Amino acid sequence: MFLFGLLLATGLASCTRQDGTAKILINEVLTNNVTNFQDDYGIHSAWIEVFNKSYNSVNLAGYFLKVSNQPGDTITYIVPKGDVLTKVSPRQHALFWADGKPNRGTFHTNFTLNTTQPCWVGLYDSGKKLLDEIVVPVLNPDESYARVQDASKDWEIKSGSKTKYVTPSTNNQTIERNEKVEKFEVHDSSGIGMSLTAMLVVFCGLILLYIFFRILGKAVFNKSKPVKQPVNMKQEENTNKSAEEVFAAIAMALHEELGGVHDIESNKLTIRRVHTPWSDKYNALRVIPRKNS
Amino acid sequence: MGEFASFIANNLADFWTYTGFCNATPGHLVMILVGLFFIYLAIAKEFEPMLLIPIGFGILIGNIPFNTEAGLMVGIYEEGSVLNILYQGVTSGWYPPLIFLGIGAMTDFSALISNPKLLLIGAAAQFGIFGAYMIALEMGFNPMQAGAIGIIGGADGPTAIFLSSKLAPNLMGAIAVSAYSYMALVPVIQPPIMRLLTTKKERVMRMAPPRRVSHTEKVMFPIVGLLLTCFLVPSGLPLLGMLFFGNLLKESGVTRRLAETARGPLIDTITMLLGLTVGASTQASEFLTWDSIKIFMLGALSFIIATASGVLFVKIFNLILPKHKRINPLIGNAGVSAVPDSARISQILGLEYDPTNYLLMHAMGPNVAGVIGSAVAAGILLGFLM
Repeated sequence: MFLFGLLLATGLASCTRQDGTAKILINEVLTNNVTNFQDDYGIHSAWIEVFNKSYNSVNLAGYFLKVSNQPGDTITYIVPKGDVLTKVSPRQHALFWADGKPNRGTFHTNFTLNTTQPCWVGLYDSGKKLLDEIVVPVLNPDESYARVQDASKDWEIKSGSKTKYVTPSTNNQTIERNEKVEKFEVHDSSGIGMSLTAMLVVFCGLILLYIFFRILGKAVFNKSKPVKQPVNMKQEENTNKSAEEVFAAIAMALHEELGGVHDIESNKLTIRRVHTPWSDKYNALRVIPRKNS
Repeated sequence: MGEFASFIANNLADFWTYTGFCNATPGHLVMILVGLFFIYLAIAKEFEPMLLIPIGFGILIGNIPFNTEAGLMVGIYEEGSVLNILYQGVTSGWYPPLIFLGIGAMTDFSALISNPKLLLIGAAAQFGIFGAYMIALEMGFNPMQAGAIGIIGGADGPTAIFLSSKLAPNLMGAIAVSAYSYMALVPVIQPPIMRLLTTKKERVMRMAPPRRVSHTEKVMFPIVGLLLTCFLVPSGLPLLGMLFFGNLLKESGVTRRLAETARGPLIDTITMLLGLTVGASTQASEFLTWDSIKIFMLGALSFIIATASGVLFVKIFNLILPKHKRINPLIGNAGVSAVPDSARISQILGLEYDPTNYLLMHAMGPNVAGVIGSAVAAGILLGFLM
């Protein structure tokens, strides 16, 4: 019971340390939109991009976006329910317009972002649990504050340069090449390095299993070992082995005999005479009456 | 009357454009011949009929020519068609784990539990994967494609489909067909290599009978096996999870009905669907490419390398083992995880040289280890190349 309690406590403790494990994150924020992305009304408004980092779809309906431009004046926007567009596909983005006009659609919030001082943005799930928060610094027009890559820990100001470009509703850094593969092509073009490393790991994995089952096997073998008796062990072992084989042979023979299964059938039908009182010759004959003299 | 005749004639001409005769290409005919050859091998030679009949017939189904622009929704690559829906089990990879469930429910792991050193043979045979990987690189494939092709050598259709869908989705069809075809052709590929690499004396070598394995050990095996292997290679979870689950159903002794369903009707149904759809996915237009031919060549090579490395490993391993614990090199091929076919080859070849030398129980050890080993190898390739 104590052990179970300990396990439960450890499990609960690990559950409470879930920082950074949220599926939905704030990914990029642009506070001062002059010539950047336009909304569906053709208006340049500030925006907040959220990213679903999981490999499952997540429905944002009922989630909360909170903004605080000054301490103590938090504004909350609840993502409406009933809109299929609130379902964010795996590893995809959703963009909320901070234009203070919620009547324009699900993705138009009831707040705007302050362009003259840092503002705090928080994202909560429908159970009001904080999923992610960020303090956005004061940004120049058309600059965004974004994670370096989608869902990465580090943030940077994206000024619109060639390497730091603003990316509403798309990946914060476009993946154009696979660095791992390129490294392999340069350093291990023949594949020997990969083969050796991988074979080593495969062997390590299976050696681990071998060790476990060997230890388990020995433990079980020792447990089931018969008590030592003062007889010649080797002889006894041989006798046991041969006895086992004999028993197996007898069992197989009995099984074949009793089961009536044969490798080769004779294809001959034999009608055996069965003696019953009805077929008994003696009973079938009438008794000759005796003459009484 | 003339108008009516021309109307009928036009209709017939239109109908002609829909027929297979009109749309047939040499590629279709070649693939139909391949399908017929598979069916011949299955029926006349009895090479893995359970796999080759569905695959062979699937090739026939997949290569009936039709007008692809007519939107008939009959082809396997036409989204929403019946064949396409059945093919989802292959592309999204849920047929293979169900097959593994059945395999788990019909496999007795006693040989592996009683003699765990056989696990190492399963590891050695995975060199087939990396040998083929190196050759594929030499042939001009990029590392991701080479990794996907190399996994054919793991002789594990489900793992091959899983890995190729991640590393080289455009080659998945050819890789899947190649993997399943070579698994079915294990009786053709392996025996000559086994004969070549072993002496007559080695082939009749008798192994110590496996010790008795207790019920507790048998029940513990799937649980411990799952925890150890899947903590090491979580990417193998769908396959290994179902394999060990099926085995627990069998060994627990209290879920007999479930185990019988898993190893009976369920595995039969999935085997039919998997084989048929993999075969049907070989539409000539999609399949007959130079890359597919290269993949088939590499697949054969990877099987040969895997078999050879398993057998040679046993021979080297025997040098350090005490005489009474030596292993018959004929079970080295079983490290190629075509469960249970490669183990069956060990048995058949062993009986050929000594009719009283039963190797099946011993060969099942490396065979199961091969499944684990190929899943580990797939995980490594995925980790290195994705």
